[in-house]
Amino acid sequence: MTREEIGNKLRDLMKAASPKQIDWNSMTEQSDIAALGFDSLSILDLIYDVQQGFKIEFDAEELTGVRTVGDLVTFLQGKIG
Amino acid sequence: MRWIRYWIEYGFLKFMLGLFDLMSAAHAEAVLTRLSGLYYALAVSRRRIAIDNILKAGIASDYKEANRIARRSFRHFALVVLESLKSGEIMADGIEHHIRVSVSPELDRILKDTKQGLIMASGHFGSWEIAAQLVSNVKPVAGVTKKMSNPMVNVLMEQRKPRNNFHLLPKYDRENASRFLNVLKNGEVLALMIDQHASWRGILVDFFGRPASTHTAIALLHLVTKAPICFGYCWRVSPGQYELRAEGPLYFKPTGDKNADIRTILETLNRHLEKAVREHPEQYLWGHRRWKEEEFVRSDMRDQLPAAAK
Repeated sequence: MTREEIGNKLRDLMKAASPKQIDWNSMTEQSDIAALGFDSLSILDLIYDVQQGFKIEFDAEELTGVRTVGDLVTFLQGKIG
Repeated sequence: MRWIRYWIEYGFLKFMLGLFDLMSAAHAEAVLTRLSGLYYALAVSRRRIAIDNILKAGIASDYKEANRIARRSFRHFALVVLESLKSGEIMADGIEHHIRVSVSPELDRILKDTKQGLIMASGHFGSWEIAAQLVSNVKPVAGVTKKMSNPMVNVLMEQRKPRNNFHLLPKYDRENASRFLNVLKNGEVLALMIDQHASWRGILVDFFGRPASTHTAIALLHLVTKAPICFGYCWRVSPGQYELRAEGPLYFKPTGDKNADIRTILETLNRHLEKAVREHPEQYLWGHRRWKEEEFVRSDMRDQLPAAAK
């Protein structure tokens, strides 16, 4: 998958998991994940969706340090290969 | 005005705690038992909630029996307070002389494995303070607590909580996801109660035959970390004597249907809690408004209710 494809799929997953009503078309790689409405509970929803949506396994604690959408896309690129 | 109230509350609590510190465990138990009876008589609303919950759960078939169980439930929780204040004295000769433990060999192995995290589900049943202290002797335990609105009372209660290997994480904190994950990564026990009303944050799962809003975090943590879950509970067998039992370890494989996966886990855990409560109904927190059906009639959780309940 290209970085753009990963980003687009991630946007769809985040839109479904986030409890916040925002303009998802304005999401960029610089967007802070917490600012997209993910709190301590909904972030777990997102992790599940990412694991199942991209069909990859990873330890949730590998996401330590992931702050922006771009960080997450980079992480997923490394996992998908 | 608020700070005046805070000071009054703090002063009263500090005075009462000081009094209990001066009493022996036996004397404190006698005092708390009487106070629980008085509270039961005066707290009309809580009493009605407890009796109503017991009847609707099918634990008792008539008012008299429900009243008896409710009264004993209030007394039980006064003793939970006692255990929180006096556990050191109660078990001064060693915790092993006061608790019988029943866990599977696999769960015993996990508890002793310093690298394996464990999610321990439980409910407001029995003697959870004693359970946390016992388990923390084997493996560090992290629990979750809601901060009190009175900051001075909060500090006072924090100072009195037993430490050892037992620490508390704040409820509804933005950093909790990473804290929970760190607990499991560090090979510790993450202890979570499954019977708190989750309002809009939860999903409706049957508990004693009635839909109850239930937090999903425990299920999601298992699904994303694959840390084993167990259901643990500890009940008072007699004064100063307890039994701790844990069902598991339990493993659930994600299917891709998140809601179904979460529901399967929460239903399983609720069945375990129901079984424990049926065995010792007087040791459950019946006075808590676990089922807030009136919220669902108004809110957008309505679509989760079965048709007959709408």
